[in-house]
Formats: sequence, structure tokens, C-alpha cells
Amino acid sequence: MAALWKGRRRWKTNNYFKVLARSLTGKYEYDYDLVVIGGGSGGLACSKEAAQLGQKVAVLDYVEPSAKGTKWGLGGTCVNVGCIPKKLMHQAALLGTAVKDAKKYGWQIPETLSHDWGTMAGAVQNYVKSLNWGHRVQLNDKKVKYLNMKGSLVDENTVKAFTKAGKETTLTAKNIVIATGGRPKCPTNIPGVEHGITSDDVFWLKNSPGKTLVVGASYVGLECAGFLTGIGLDATIMVRSVALRGFDQQMSGLVTDYMEAYGTKFAWKCVPRRIDKLPSGALQVTWTDTQTDSQHQDTYDTVLWAVGRAPETKALGLDKLGVQLNKETGKIIVGADESTSVPNIYAFGDIGEGRPELTPTAIKAGRLLARRLAGQSTQLMNYDNVPTTVFTPLEYACVGLSEEEAERRHGKDGIEVYHAFYKPLEFTVAERDASQCYLKVVCESSGNQKIVGLHFTGPNAGEVTQGFALGFQCGATYSDLLNTVGIHPTCAEEMTKVHITKRSGLDPTVTGC
Amino acid sequence: MALLMQLTHTHASRCGLRLKLFPHIRRTLIRRRSMAEDITRLDFLVIGGGSGGLAGARRAAELGAVTAVVECHKLGGTCVSKPLPHINLGSYFVHCPTAPPGHFIVSLCFINATLKAKRDAYVSNLNRIYRNNLDKSKIQTIQGDAKFTNNPEPTVEVNGKKYTAPHILIATGGRPSALSEEEVPGASLGITSDGFFELESLPKRSVVVGAGYIAVEMAGILSTLGSKTSLLIRQSGVLRNFDSYISTNCTKELQNSGIDLWKNSEVKSVKKTDSGLELAIATKDLEKKNDEEKISTIGQVDCLLWAIGRQPNTSGLNIGGIGLETDERGHIVVDEFQNTSRPGIYAVGDVCGKALLTPVAIAAGRKLAHRLFEGKKDSKLDYSCIPTVVFSHPPIGTVGLTEEEAIQTRGKENVKIYKTSFTPMYHAITSRKSQCIMKLVCVGKEEKVIGLHMQGLGCDEMLQGFAVAIKMGATKSDFDRTVAIHPTSSEEFVTMR
Repeated sequence: MAALWKGRRRWKTNNYFKVLARSLTGKYEYDYDLVVIGGGSGGLACSKEAAQLGQKVAVLDYVEPSAKGTKWGLGGTCVNVGCIPKKLMHQAALLGTAVKDAKKYGWQIPETLSHDWGTMAGAVQNYVKSLNWGHRVQLNDKKVKYLNMKGSLVDENTVKAFTKAGKETTLTAKNIVIATGGRPKCPTNIPGVEHGITSDDVFWLKNSPGKTLVVGASYVGLECAGFLTGIGLDATIMVRSVALRGFDQQMSGLVTDYMEAYGTKFAWKCVPRRIDKLPSGALQVTWTDTQTDSQHQDTYDTVLWAVGRAPETKALGLDKLGVQLNKETGKIIVGADESTSVPNIYAFGDIGEGRPELTPTAIKAGRLLARRLAGQSTQLMNYDNVPTTVFTPLEYACVGLSEEEAERRHGKDGIEVYHAFYKPLEFTVAERDASQCYLKVVCESSGNQKIVGLHFTGPNAGEVTQGFALGFQCGATYSDLLNTVGIHPTCAEEMTKVHITKRSGLDPTVTGC
Repeated sequence: MALLMQLTHTHASRCGLRLKLFPHIRRTLIRRRSMAEDITRLDFLVIGGGSGGLAGARRAAELGAVTAVVECHKLGGTCVSKPLPHINLGSYFVHCPTAPPGHFIVSLCFINATLKAKRDAYVSNLNRIYRNNLDKSKIQTIQGDAKFTNNPEPTVEVNGKKYTAPHILIATGGRPSALSEEEVPGASLGITSDGFFELESLPKRSVVVGAGYIAVEMAGILSTLGSKTSLLIRQSGVLRNFDSYISTNCTKELQNSGIDLWKNSEVKSVKKTDSGLELAIATKDLEKKNDEEKISTIGQVDCLLWAIGRQPNTSGLNIGGIGLETDERGHIVVDEFQNTSRPGIYAVGDVCGKALLTPVAIAAGRKLAHRLFEGKKDSKLDYSCIPTVVFSHPPIGTVGLTEEEAIQTRGKENVKIYKTSFTPMYHAITSRKSQCIMKLVCVGKEEKVIGLHMQGLGCDEMLQGFAVAIKMGATKSDFDRTVAIHPTSSEEFVTMR
């Protein structure tokens, strides 16, 4: 007790002298040039870049376990409970389809194919753990101080950090960056909500989730239901209103049509009312079909909430400092340079209001911020023209505006939409239905027909679209596409051959060269 | 009444009227008139119903030209009937079943007959689609071998009938080269890529000879489908005309995949025995300064596949008789507008020997049609920055100049290279691994990207978009300004340091 008290007094004395020194000399002596709170995609990129530029950097990363008790290591959402495990499980599902297709290609495959969750999950989890380790090694190599502690702001230059056991440390820094990201939300008004899991849990399950109800049709919900169906599980998606809100709705329809044909069940315009845990351990879900106002019930092994994400700001103490938050979303209001309403405090990544919730934008913004803070650059992050891919069973990639948004901005006559239904060559021998393999290029109708939006559904959509996103960034026009020789035979070449407009009303199905 | 009017007009004004009066009547009339002289006169005569020929013919017909296509085999040409669709179909699935995540209880055994039947059905369907397209466009198809006659005007004879047109396009493509019995005794015991697709069953033991993309693709397919495969190359690496980064990596990947690679080797003779073919192979030992060769044999070979190059299909055409200039390998020499050395005669596609690719032939054929029949005097194909993919395992994508070409043409001090290599996430939990390598060749202060080369999973679908941007003149900083799509392999291109 005495020791504690002495320690406290010592800290207070030290701090007093530091503050005195600051005010007397005008020179600030901080522990660090930069303290980053949050060791995810953005936080790690920012801290490593800053260290490389000669700054003294510390990064705090702490994972509050999920309601079900799931926790993970360094790397943030992307590495542990997002992009990486998602893509690997999506890959597992695709391989299942590929093996079935292989029969048509002459491979002798047994009639029934089974999937073992434990093998897949174990392998994915081991890979993620290797990434956690890799990140720790990288931080060490780049001389970034890593603290597995929960950070909270004391003032604009001071962060208090706690370990799980409650041990406290204080760090002072010239600049503080908040990159704490977000966590899945759960509904607040549904009895039995605690019986459900979220995306924080699904990738870390030791046993198969079995028959699953995914509530929510955001990309998270669709991707999860997609790979669960692909590995042979009974999966249903419950959609309150529309799927992939914010995305082009025609493309969203193609994605969900494919998923329905693929075996995922959809409960459109339905909302869950309650979840009861049965003695067997199964979950009985009661829901309302809002179209008919009727009540329904079914039993599931797992309920997965995918109803949105909320910013991780609780423990930060932002209100104390007056860091302005958006009242509706709870995210931190940021300027074009990632600054907050408090000088020396910056925020970026998923936590920033109006920012895309994507790893690559967080990484890029983090690096640029580090360069600016080190005085090495004035370049701001460009959040326009951000491409993205939804890794549903039929992948969907896009860059630029949705057709609806383009129409809103330019008027129906102000845009020309070129489109095509194509069939991947690989689907032919496999006798697979390609009805939803589609692409459209939304252009300005006047002038040189600059492309304002590009959308593609098909295999390898992400790989197809990256290069087109570069072209988009360079201001590509419709004729730039047509003037590029196609690569044959690929799916991507269809983008350089597209010539039927929506306006013409002609059949956009591709038939041979 | 209209008929009478037509008959009284001269030929010249008839040409003008042609575009206005009933097309079917005018076509019949013109043919009837020509039959009196025994030569059918058309606006556009295309020799060769492959990718280039059909594209040119259809576009010309759309623009109002009376067109006919001469084809001696099936419509669609090499692309449709032979290698391209099949290579992709065969190779696409071969790397899926190896050590995937999850537990697959499969015993893998490949039966070629199933694949061949489905592939043949698909190709026949394409042949039919092409025929329908031609019929719909009112293009006459003339089945048979074409030969230029000695008539003063360029005239082509097919099955005893003569045809002429002010514009004649040669798009006869190419065929696999073969060695003569004098060069290699027993050479004819081997097949070429044409014969490969007729195979009903998978050969147990295969030997592929050649170092070009066809050899690489064939060897990859055979090996991964379960045939014990050897690849014989005359020098030390495959794809020697590609960027050296690709050439070296591809050679390594071939060996890693289990293909038995014989460098600095040539087949000396081929013998037929009871247990299959026996090949005598001479291998140069480069350590020894002399030309000493070690002779080895590979026996019990079920399939010897020659993939030693392709040659233009011009024999029988009598192009020498009409004075067309050809290069030392027999390709028809053309200028940037596809004009041959004889006015009124043009050539596109593989027969010209430049950029032997379907989309190139199609694009060149169409550009020519616009120039000849729409008055677009400057219409021509830009042959720079043509992207191409090799369906090796994993696939290769390339566009623009190699590093070596860039240094040669721009000087080493003006060239900056960005390179990366990594293991794609697909292999995160497979025991089999393949690498992904990427290279950007940049030139000048602004670091304009003039070459992009890669090999890795997904590179076949990745390249197209980058080709658009590179043709637009993208620089390294354009690449850097583009946000990545995560998680993909392609994102590595926009995050290269």
C-alpha cells in the first residue's frame, strides 16, 4: 500500500516536473513522438511508417473479448476476424464447388463429398496466429514499442494504458492517433440476443456452427452465409429490407440470386423477434414476416448477428477531452487530414466518420498521416475511387458510382451504361449456370464518355478489377476500354468488348467473339 | 420497275445505287452478271474463316460490303477448334484438388474421354454459332481451298469457281511446324498441338519438345492430369522471349511441379517399339567448351508432342504467283495498315507472324473493314501494349516491354524496375506452394510504366485492367494512388515500394 502510494507520488512528481519543464523551456519532452491506439491494419501501418521515418513510436493493442469470450492477437479485425479468415473460408467453399465441377472435367470423384470444419478452422486459425506473430516481429524489427494494453486518453498528449490484470502505465506523446476500429453490433431489443454469435466468433469456432441463421444482409452477412453454404451447411439469411445497402442494387440482386441458386435460403423482409434456447441446446428463433405480418418459427444450431458495426470508442475517454463524435454513428468526426476536434489527436480507419471501412484505405491513410506528422509530406489521403470486392460465392467487385448514384448526379440522360452477360469458359464444361455473371460500365453520356462506375460479378472479381481501378484512377473513358486488346480467353476481356447499352434495349448476352 | 432501272444503269452508278436499293436483289444481280464472265465479283473476299477473317468479314458486311469467306475446314479457325479454349478448360481445375483446406476424401483419377467429349460438343456448338452469325450477316461461305489465279485482276479460285473483289483479305492463319524425316528420323511418329486435342485417353508417358508457350501449356496440362511428362528444350530456359524474370521463374515452377525438364537437349531420332516410342536425345554439356553431346534415351513414350513453333498457312495459295512479299519464314509482309505488297490485297492474323493472338486478329480485321468500307483512312490497330497470357501453372501475364527491351531502347539509366514476389494467400494452408512474382518496368523521370510482367495464381484475370491503364500511359505514381482491393494478389501491384 505504501509502495503504491509512493509510486503514485513519484509519478505525480515526475509529471509535475515534466509539465514545469515544458512550460519553462517551451520544449516538450514526451516519451514518444507518436502513440497509436489500435494495432489493426491502420494502426500498424501508421506506427511502422512513422518509425521508419525516425519517429519514436508506441502502439497499443488490446482486444476486448467478445460476448462469447472470443479473443485474438495483434493485427486487428482484418487479420483476425475479417478479411483473412473470411477469404480463406470462402476459398474452402469455392474448392468444394470446384471439386464437384471436376467430375465433369473427367476427375473420378466419389458421389458424396464431405467437409470437416475442424480441419479447416484449425488450419485457418493457425495461419492467423502466424500472422499475429509476424506482426509482432515486424514491430520489433522496426523498433516500434508494442504494448498489449488498453489505451485511454488523459489529455491531448497523455495516454493511460491498462493491462488485463489492471496494471497501469502512462505514456506521453507529441501526437496521438486513434485507430481502434469497430466491433460487430448486436440488436438491443431482442430477448435471447445473447444466444447469438457475431463475425468476431464464427472464425474461431472449434466446432461446426451447423444449421445457421445469419441475421443481416450486409456484405458480412452475405459472405458468411455464402461460405457456410459452400461447405455444406444449411444457411439462411434474414433480411430486414435490402441486401448490400449502399451498393449498386442491380448487382446486389445478381449476387443474392446466385446465392439462392447456390443453396442459401433467404427470409426477405423478416425481422427476428426472440431467441429461445431449447434444452437440446438448439436455438428457436421467432420472427415476423413484415410483408404479411405473420409470425414464424424455426430451430437453428447457430444464430449469427451481422447487423452492422459500431466504433470502438467506449474505453477511450473521448468525451472527457471534447473529441467530437457523430451523434448517430458514434464515430469520430475527422478532417481531410484525419485530425479531430482536438489538436494533436488524430483518428482514421473504421473509427473515422464517413470513411470506408476497408483495410487498404486504413493502411494508406495511416502511412500518409505518419509522413505528415513526421513533417515529410503534406499529401492527404484520397478517398475517391476506392475499389472493393464482396467475396460472396459469386464475387462482386466495383469501383466508382453505383448506377443509381450516377443517375442521381448526372440525370438518366447524362449517363450511358454499357453492359453484358457473359459466360466464364470454365463454366461451360462444368455445366454451371452463369446467369448472374455480368458486368456494366457506367459512363458520362457526353464528351468522351468518362467512366464513372464499373461493376463486375464473376469468378476472381477482385483480381479482375484491380487493374481497371487503376485505369479508373487515370480517368479512363469508354473508348480506352475498347482500344485495349482483349486477353483471350479470360472473363476480364469482356470489359474491353462491352458494347450493348442499356438504352438500346438490346439483349446484352455475349455470344462468341 | 426497280429491276429495269437497275439493268439500264452502268456499273459505276450501280455501285452508288447499291447502298440504297434492295440489297438481296442487287447481290443476286451482280452475281448473275458476273457468271457470264465466269468470275463472281464481290466487294470483299476473305480467305480464311478464323478469328481474323470472320471478324473482318462480319464488320465489312455490317458496313454494307458484299462479302464472302472461303474456309477449307471448320469455321472459327485455330482459336475455336484447337488450342485456346481447351487449354484453359483443361488447366483450370488441375490445381484445385491438391491439399485443400478441409478434408476431401477423393481418389483422383483423370479420364480424358469425358473431357474430350464435352470439349468437342462445346467446339461444335461454337462452329455452329459462327455459321449462324455469317448467315445472319448475309455473308456467303465458300467451302474449299483457295488459290490465286494468274488473272490480271487479283482472282481466287475455289473448287473450280473464280471470285474477285477490289479488296481481298488473306487470313489463313498458321499451323504447327513439324520436323521432316530427314531432320529427325521418326519425327512423324510424334503429334503436334493439333493432334493433342484428338487424344482419347491420357498418355501414361509424354515427352513435349519445345520452349515456347504452347510447349509450356501442353506440358503443364499433361503433367498435372497425371501423365509422367518430360519437357525437352534446346537452351536453358523456357519462354526466352519473355522477360527474364518470367523465363527463370516459369522454368523453376515447371520443375517444381514435377515435370522432368531436359535443358540443352534435342531429339536425334524416334523409334517405334512394342512398348511405345523410344527417343534418342542429345544433351550439350555447357561446362565443356566443346560441342560434345551426351546421348540418352527415353523409352516407353506414349505421346511425343512437337511444339517447336508455328508456320504460316500460305502453301497452296500461290501468293508467290501474285508477287506478295513474304519474310524468311513465309509470313506475309504487311504495313501498319495490313496492306501487302500488292494493292487491294491485305493480310491479318497469324499469317503475318506478328502478335499471334485471337484478339489481335479480330481487332486488326475490324480496323481494316472500317478503313476499306467506312472511309476511315487512318483506321489501324496499334500493336503496342498488347497484353497476353500464358496458361502455365500458375499462369503468366505480360504486357509491354521486357526489362531487357526497355534497357536496349531507352538506356539503363532511364529504366527503373520494381519487383516483388510472395506466396499467395491461397497457399496459406496448402502444403503445395507456388510463388507469385510481379515486375513493373518504368521509364523516365515520371516513371511511365512501359512493361508489366507477372506469374502467379489469378494472373490471367488480373492483367486486362492493367493493360487498359498502361495503354493510357499510367505512371508508377498512378499505380501508387490507386487504392488496393483486399485481400487479393493483384493489390500487390498498387502497393509496390
